[in-house]
Amino acid sequence: MSSEARKESLKYLYERVVTPLGFKFTPDEQMVDDLLEAEVKLEQDLGAPYCPCQGRSGVRAEDMQIVCPCIPFHRAHFDAMKRCWCGLFVHLDVTDPDSLPQLPPDEV
Amino acid sequence: MVDEVFVYALSTCPWCRKTKQWFDDSKIAYESVDVDQLPDDEQDAAADKAYELSGGRRFPVVVINGEVIVGFSPDKFLEHLKGWGGGA
Repeated sequence: MSSEARKESLKYLYERVVTPLGFKFTPDEQMVDDLLEAEVKLEQDLGAPYCPCQGRSGVRAEDMQIVCPCIPFHRAHFDAMKRCWCGLFVHLDVTDPDSLPQLPPDEV
Repeated sequence: MVDEVFVYALSTCPWCRKTKQWFDDSKIAYESVDVDQLPDDEQDAAADKAYELSGGRRFPVVVINGEVIVGFSPDKFLEHLKGWGGGA
């Protein structure tokens, strides 16, 4: 499968997973494209579409918590920011993603 | 007044690129490393250092004059840049 086709399939899958959680893709289409491109590369290199903005520990149980979409593992943190860490997803009511701060969990 | 700035980044992370772009645009000198682009034998040490500093595995990790900021946060960067009126 080509990278473009995989990006489209991830997009199709993610939309169905995150909508019931109260999230949607960021309205910033360039950001969506960049992040999905990175995830496809991570999947090709490492076997899973890990969050492009979080590092892996090498401990499988921990690393599975940053496979996209990782919202369920970080729900309180992401709900407080109204976005996920990498910004691929935002709350359903968000129209201006640039206004959302990127804060670590102990600062939200 | 010279600020010491170091950015721990991932090559896959657009917010890491935004962070480095912000320092470039602000004409503030900084050092940086894309942790995932290091040779295997250096990658773990750099990642562990970033995790130790930040208390997590989120990037970017920015160290300004010894203060650690996690995430793309220009307001916090300015708070800690002595040359811009911030700092302790």
